Amino acid sequence: MGRYIARRLMQGFVVIFGVTVFVFVITRLVGDPVKFMLPLSATPEQRAARSAALGLDKSIPVQFVHFIGGLIRLDLGESTYVRGHSALSVVFDYIPRTLQLVGLGMLFAVVLSIPLGVLASRKPGGPTDRILTTLSLVGLSMPQFFLGFVLLIAFTVKLHWFESGPGPWTRNLILPALCLSLPAIGRLAIVVRSSMIDELNTQYVKVAKAKGMTQRRILGVHAMRNAGIPYVTLLGWEIIRALAGYTVVVEAVFNWPGLGFMAKTAIQNQDFYLIQAIVFVIAVIVVILNIVIDIAYKLLDPRVDLQ
Amino acid sequence: MKKRYRLFGSLIALSFVAAACGSDDKASSGATAGGGTTAADSTTAGPTGDTTPTSDGTVTAGGEISIALGSEPTSLDPYLVDDGAERAVNDNIYETLLTRTPTGELEPGLATDLPTQVDDLTWQFKLREGVTFHDGSPFNADSVVASINRMVMLIADKKTDNDGFYSSITAAAKIDDTTVNITTAKPDGVMPARMYWLKMIPASAETTEDLSDSPNGTGPYKFVSRTVGSDVKLAANTDYWGDAPSIASVTYEFVAEGGTRLAGLKSGKYDLITNLPPQDVDQAPQSAKVQGQEHPILILDSDEGITADPNVRLALNLAVDKQAIVDQIFGGFAAPDAGQLLSPSVLGFNDSIDAYPYDADRAKQLLTDAGVAGQTIQLVGEAGRWLNDRDLLEAVAGYWKAAGLDVKLDILEFGAYLDVLFDRDSRADAIYVSSSNDILDPDRQLSTYYQAGGIGSSNTNTELSGLIDQGRQELDPEVRATTYKEAVKVAYDEAYFVWLVNNQDLYGLSTRITWTPRVDSKLLVKEMSVSS
Repeated sequence: MGRYIARRLMQGFVVIFGVTVFVFVITRLVGDPVKFMLPLSATPEQRAARSAALGLDKSIPVQFVHFIGGLIRLDLGESTYVRGHSALSVVFDYIPRTLQLVGLGMLFAVVLSIPLGVLASRKPGGPTDRILTTLSLVGLSMPQFFLGFVLLIAFTVKLHWFESGPGPWTRNLILPALCLSLPAIGRLAIVVRSSMIDELNTQYVKVAKAKGMTQRRILGVHAMRNAGIPYVTLLGWEIIRALAGYTVVVEAVFNWPGLGFMAKTAIQNQDFYLIQAIVFVIAVIVVILNIVIDIAYKLLDPRVDLQ
Repeated sequence: MKKRYRLFGSLIALSFVAAACGSDDKASSGATAGGGTTAADSTTAGPTGDTTPTSDGTVTAGGEISIALGSEPTSLDPYLVDDGAERAVNDNIYETLLTRTPTGELEPGLATDLPTQVDDLTWQFKLREGVTFHDGSPFNADSVVASINRMVMLIADKKTDNDGFYSSITAAAKIDDTTVNITTAKPDGVMPARMYWLKMIPASAETTEDLSDSPNGTGPYKFVSRTVGSDVKLAANTDYWGDAPSIASVTYEFVAEGGTRLAGLKSGKYDLITNLPPQDVDQAPQSAKVQGQEHPILILDSDEGITADPNVRLALNLAVDKQAIVDQIFGGFAAPDAGQLLSPSVLGFNDSIDAYPYDADRAKQLLTDAGVAGQTIQLVGEAGRWLNDRDLLEAVAGYWKAAGLDVKLDILEFGAYLDVLFDRDSRADAIYVSSSNDILDPDRQLSTYYQAGGIGSSNTNTELSGLIDQGRQELDPEVRATTYKEAVKVAYDEAYFVWLVNNQDLYGLSTRITWTPRVDSKLLVKEMSVSS
């Protein structure tokens, strides 16, 4: 296992390096932060002077060497948007709110999707199954920007139960977390349902039934564990998608100032350094999550060979 | 059995860790988040007004308010950035040598009088006595010299975005404790307006690299805290030299979405929101408006292409029904631009010029006579940056089409749009821009869009360019005004632009707050009050 993790970490380094270099090239090719830093009325001379001060007047290969030098020292430069702060420090200022959002959202997803899926799988095609499957489909096909505004209008504007913007999680985080989790709940519940149905049709479940084991024990102990592998795969994917994508939308709608919110701002202002730092940190998290998921397979099913 | 549940157990445990982080946040920022909700609480706090402890433990009468801005300050160092959100906060912390009345007239601030002229390059300011910074250090000639020195140094080091405001200044010299001379490289008629803009810092801050973490001014409000991504809090300065402010504390929150700002206003979370869209005015508990400085215009290329013909440029003006745009696109919360980019509150506004009337038939005739009917005109703009910009551009394109042109409307992403606006080699036929005037002086706006070579200009008129130079270097405000009136008339007669409208600044207010917006769009909390 140790050797396996070491190998995956090495692969991870290559991935992170590749992604970071890719972002470097893309941002340098298409963007110019100086355009956004200075007021519209700044003269061409003032713009050129700022470019030179940032080193952006150098050729891309020269900038690249400089960039790699910084990357090795984990120095990703100073943000051009959040002035006077290193890009990485801006990421660490904003990422806790994103982790809270994804954490609570995925907690909702896990706590709701498993019972819903199991319930639906007990009588495939029955009324409960149909209702739950339909609801799941509605949930997973609802765009989050739309769902978010519906939730905001209902629970914030009309009912005053929650607030938007930063604040204590009981008032400000539950709604965005719910918005983040609803599509995930739909997808996860459908997977729980179908893998449970598969498992319930296997020989070992029939044997267990035949020897008089209770339904609850069959479901809870035997079938669920075997149904766990596809579930964990999808859950990992949901977490990654949430971190690297959905939070951008949800944080914008609910004005929850996390990393997704900052990513949008960084892109709008073509802040190379901040974009790079955000992608870098997300890439590190994704690599680690993938390793965790692999280890989870092994724990769920000892037959899985990590080598 | 134990092993079976390990995975789910650990997943759930993980989630609880995350949720626990959430509750930590609640504990640590409880006071921070309170600002928004206590605003509502104090409404019910009894008729005499509640008392609120300020940062230094003293008690001041007055309420707490919460303001939602459209963006977060990118820094709280007023010297480094040119940022509306930074100013919204720092205008209450820092003060300037001169200020403006709510209608835009210059008047003394930290100076006791308007400056006097020592010679063409030297302005003398007399300073108010007995003013102190929030940290207790005195405001005097040394602080003014330090302020000028810091800005001059930052400009030399290419570290500030504000060089456009101050690059004409060379130095400041202390004459005595309450007298300072400020010198410029050339005669500079904009100098008084510049000193309405430059915030005064204590002498000790002259060489501080970044003041963002500890704003320290002489203003009516003191910096209390800043939670990045969340809010900034200020409290009344009990030692303020001027009239004591009535509001005890203010919390700024940053809400990019207009709909979310409005929702917060309606739910009572905010007392004041900026940039209230015209279509939402009816929904706000209370709204306030003022004829502001925002002027959407179209810059026409007067040297090349279809727009090189002055009659075509005139036709493009006549073809557009500005009053319909005011009514339909800005909900009536605007006025047709009086053909000059400047607002009535700005020096140089020429009240003898009227907006070109809407005359579709004459426009059509002019285009036909010019032989360009049916030809293609390129109109470049962007969407999302300025108020109702897409609707505005589509309306203009519609009017031009009706006048007989084939309009190629390019609505670009903002970065790509800036490339077109800043392209000095080839100018697009028509470029949309919404121009604002921060310091209420015509020089910068006209230098940028009217003067040949300005980064957004599309003409090579040397007479106009000469007038703008002359206006900048003229020291007598009366003569300056006359010069600018002449300049805007030249551009008007040549129809270098399609002047569209002058927007009103719209604010959403809670029912308990009283405030009159200013033409310079400053949000001065000392001018606000709340009823209990």
